[in-house]
Amino acid sequence: MSDHLDLPDYREQSPEVAARFASIRQRPVKLEVCGLEKRFHSPEGERVVLQDISFKAHRREFISIIGPSGCGKSTLIRILAGLETISGGDVLLEGNAVKGPSRERGMVFQGYTLFPWLTVKKNVMFGLEVSGRSGPAVESEAMDWINLVGLARYANAYPSELSGGMKQRVAIARSLANQPQILFMDEPFGALDAQTRAQMQAYLLQIWKNVDVTILFVTHDLDEAIYLSDRILVLKANPGEIQEFIEVPVPRPRDPEQFISPTFLATKNRLEHLIHPRQPGQEQARLPITKMTAAGDEVE
Amino acid sequence: MKRASRSSDTVSWFAIRKPLPGERRLLLTVLSFVLPLALWCLVSYVPFIWHPDIKLTVAADREGVTTVYTAGDHVARSYFDEYANAVRRENEAVQAGEGTTRSGFSARRNNVKILRAVAPLAIEQGWISENQVTDNAAIFDVWEGLATGRLVSEKPELTPENLAIVQEDWQTLQAHWAEDPEHEMPSDPLLKLIPQGRLSNPVYLPEPHAVLLTGWKDWNAEPAEGRPSLPERYRHSLYIVFSGFFLAALAGVPIGILSGTYDFFSKLFEPFIDFFRYMPAPAFSTLLVAIFLAHDAPKIALVFVGTFFQLVLVVANTTRQLDYSLLEAAQTLGAKRLDLLRRVILPGITPSLYNDLRILLGWAWTWLVIAELIGVKSGLTEVIETQGRWRNFESVFPVIILIGLTGFFTDQLLANLRPLLFPWTPEAIGQKQGPLVRFYRWVTDQQVYVRDDKPTTSDPA
Ligand SMILES: Nc1ncnc2c1ncn2[C@@H]1O[C@H](COP(=O)(O)OP(=O)(O)OP(=O)(O)O)[C@@H](O)[C@H]1O
Ligand SMILES: [Mg+2]
Repeated sequence: MSDHLDLPDYREQSPEVAARFASIRQRPVKLEVCGLEKRFHSPEGERVVLQDISFKAHRREFISIIGPSGCGKSTLIRILAGLETISGGDVLLEGNAVKGPSRERGMVFQGYTLFPWLTVKKNVMFGLEVSGRSGPAVESEAMDWINLVGLARYANAYPSELSGGMKQRVAIARSLANQPQILFMDEPFGALDAQTRAQMQAYLLQIWKNVDVTILFVTHDLDEAIYLSDRILVLKANPGEIQEFIEVPVPRPRDPEQFISPTFLATKNRLEHLIHPRQPGQEQARLPITKMTAAGDEVE
Repeated sequence: MKRASRSSDTVSWFAIRKPLPGERRLLLTVLSFVLPLALWCLVSYVPFIWHPDIKLTVAADREGVTTVYTAGDHVARSYFDEYANAVRRENEAVQAGEGTTRSGFSARRNNVKILRAVAPLAIEQGWISENQVTDNAAIFDVWEGLATGRLVSEKPELTPENLAIVQEDWQTLQAHWAEDPEHEMPSDPLLKLIPQGRLSNPVYLPEPHAVLLTGWKDWNAEPAEGRPSLPERYRHSLYIVFSGFFLAALAGVPIGILSGTYDFFSKLFEPFIDFFRYMPAPAFSTLLVAIFLAHDAPKIALVFVGTFFQLVLVVANTTRQLDYSLLEAAQTLGAKRLDLLRRVILPGITPSLYNDLRILLGWAWTWLVIAELIGVKSGLTEVIETQGRWRNFESVFPVIILIGLTGFFTDQLLANLRPLLFPWTPEAIGQKQGPLVRFYRWVTDQQVYVRDDKPTTSDPA
């Protein structure tokens, strides 16, 4: 897009940003993925969807995962959450291999997965009750999380009475109430309209600031990835491999005004380039004309 | 112009997949019941629409013809004239003194029969009761009344022709009795009443009012000694249906849920059940009687066999329909095996399960008639069977309608209870909540209407 603009190199970091990344690297490693591989068996034979995925996520880091559609982002995050089996390699949470889903690793899905038969409050209490706790303490704890996502007024509403954005906020509160080490989010705002989405991003940053949790966030929206993340994991398709692991040079705290800052645009430019590489000669693919136009209908 | 603006804001009656406004929906719902009823009334009460039969109000026996008609019987309209004329010719023969060759006892008995031909008419008019049909004194009294004009039959009226015959026969009797102090029957033949009747539909289509009245009469009738009354039969039928259904649900729901949850149980149970359900339940009736012997057990077992296998498959399918991502979400929240079953699967499927059971209860009703026929006939079906055999369809229809109404109203009741039981389903929430629903929600969760409007703590701005 903005090739013609004179943008800085996305790898150049201001001293504060560099210091921040240095401090993040000092933090303990929460999640470590080594040589992860995933194959699916289909009638046509075996298909390698993910191959040689290795990376580390530090405590309280915000990592986004982007890549072309079908490259295996959802598969990766489902494996990390324990919802999908591993074909090869290791996933370590604080040094221990993980197996199956657990309350240590929360997940927010793109589709709405609130339990429709429970009120907002009971939904948020679900994880706590499953862990064997009950009583007024649990209730007030749940209310704290509901307050955090700004839905105290709807504590006794059923999910079908909420809008999509509210549902996802409840889903976030429900996951966080378990105080997981790490929170996986698979395009959680994918189904929301642009405005709600922007609001939700702001909410998420706010929540993340108040909670000690590492977040792995799948998205296909580049702005969203840059706006939210410390680092961005870029996957390529067929087979899904890590293309680049970018440190976002945009300083924190983040602000929607940064969307047009040079560092932001430089990062976005780089991501564009990685996801939709431009090959010479292929730029103006001619579309077949399917409908005759009358003179005077010229649009360009 | 005016017309154009009108048509734009009123929905067409035939808009594709658009709900009609409330009043139109109500109107159509009412019509869906009124139309068939109106059609029934039309066919029953407008004489020239169908009415291929004549229902006899006065019947007569013909000499040398074995078919015997009594009042209440139907004869084809085309045959009726032939029948009446034949009787007239017999009367002419009697008047010409050519009478029959009967004599003595047989002739006297024949005359008694002729006199008793007025009995149905007299019962209808309330002159005699039903067990006075063979009471000669009462019959004589009716003849005397009719002949002297003391009694006048209305609806059905006696034709002038028949009235004349009554008077003539009465004179003959008077003349004979003047000589016979014993008041015996004369051995000379009397004149027969000419068959009389009114237009009617075939026996299998009684008139609506006849069905209603007979139904009401049967419902309140004293049963014969040792036999159950209609309300008792109704309770018995309900008992059979609900016991069979309840047992099927008791056994079938857990198996269905297990099959829908674990592939292990699905593969273990479902193939056989899938095979078994194709064997019609009535085919097992004799077997069930052999196993469970008499009384209600084989009947309940038949409803069970007819319902259980379908139920397992339907429930298993419903369980599988539950959104799998809810289970995944629960797992990432720490839920393990039993928690998943108890906290996700069970509450998640109950609304659909409720609907399934509603539909299967309807299914159980369809087995009722066959169930009550096996072993010793019982319940409402016995009424349908015996009355149907005697072609008393005005007694059969009320029973059939009673079964239909019971099924219909149970289903409506259960459907209306659904939003009360599952206030969280989108249908229940979209619905305007009546006072009953609001009360129920309040009883089950007092917090529902307490929403504090505290400002939210985390504002992104
Ligand atoms: N259960 C499965 N069985 C077989 N193949 C699968 C299965 N799940 C995913 N795949 C394949 O793996 C590939 C990656 O899928 P995945 O859903 O992870 O992609 P994605 O990056 O999340 O795509 P999108 O951006 O569209 O959400 C796809 O080609 C898909 O067809
Ligand atoms: Mg995906």
